[in-house]
Amino acid sequence: MADDKTPPAATNPYTQTYLVVSGDTLSKIAQTYYGDPALYTKIFQANRDVLSDPNKISPGQKLRIP
Amino acid sequence: MKKQSAWLLASLAALVLVGCAGQKEPAERAIASAESALATIHDTAQKYAPDQLQAVETQLAGVKDSLSKGDYKGVLAAAPALTTAISGLKDTAEGKQKDAEAAAAQAKDAWGPLSTDVPNMVTAIQSRVDTLSKSHHLPAGVTKDGLASAKSGLNAMKTAWSDASNAATSGDFTTAVSKAQAVKAQGADIMKSLGMSSG
Repeated sequence: MADDKTPPAATNPYTQTYLVVSGDTLSKIAQTYYGDPALYTKIFQANRDVLSDPNKISPGQKLRIP
Repeated sequence: MKKQSAWLLASLAALVLVGCAGQKEPAERAIASAESALATIHDTAQKYAPDQLQAVETQLAGVKDSLSKGDYKGVLAAAPALTTAISGLKDTAEGKQKDAEAAAAQAKDAWGPLSTDVPNMVTAIQSRVDTLSKSHHLPAGVTKDGLASAKSGLNAMKTAWSDASNAATSGDFTTAVSKAQAVKAQGADIMKSLGMSSG
């Protein structure tokens, strides 16, 4: 399926994004989007370019939700 | 007196024959000219105005029938209408050909963005479906049936996208764009069902 033409999630306009607000954690975001907080690693892996630690996210950060 | 009448009748018959013979060549020329004109536009007319072509061919066949029966006068009388019909057919076929070529060029332009847009959409949906399939609980607004439906819809999208790509590869951009737009519309519905905003 045209994988060679498919851009990474970072440039795919259909990849969802979420703007972090105060009190958010990756687990909370995973709960909202996936219904399962344990899937926070999916969000962390998709945002390794801006996150170095899954426990450290900051309000105002725009995260990709794969 | 009897001799004179016979001579007169013979003379009249000869005049009619000469007159008819004089019309035969123009009649044959008129039909040859019509056939030649029709031959030059036949393929285009067959593709873009088949019904009108059939009507003109029927008209031509009628005139040729008159020729075969020696009705040269009838042929010459019908020739102008036949010429007009062929000219009208030419205008219609060439007009429709021009419109079709313009539509094809427009479709080719539309294919460019779609050829990257739809795969992006499929990738995003695939990613979400894969993740939700691993989830122990689904998020609010997404049901098990909804997820199953999204999975089968995604497979249908891939198949339809393959068809669209094949059409584009073969140069049929009109079909390719039509199929791609349908895939995109289906993708938007699936994204909505999974709680995703469509870009």
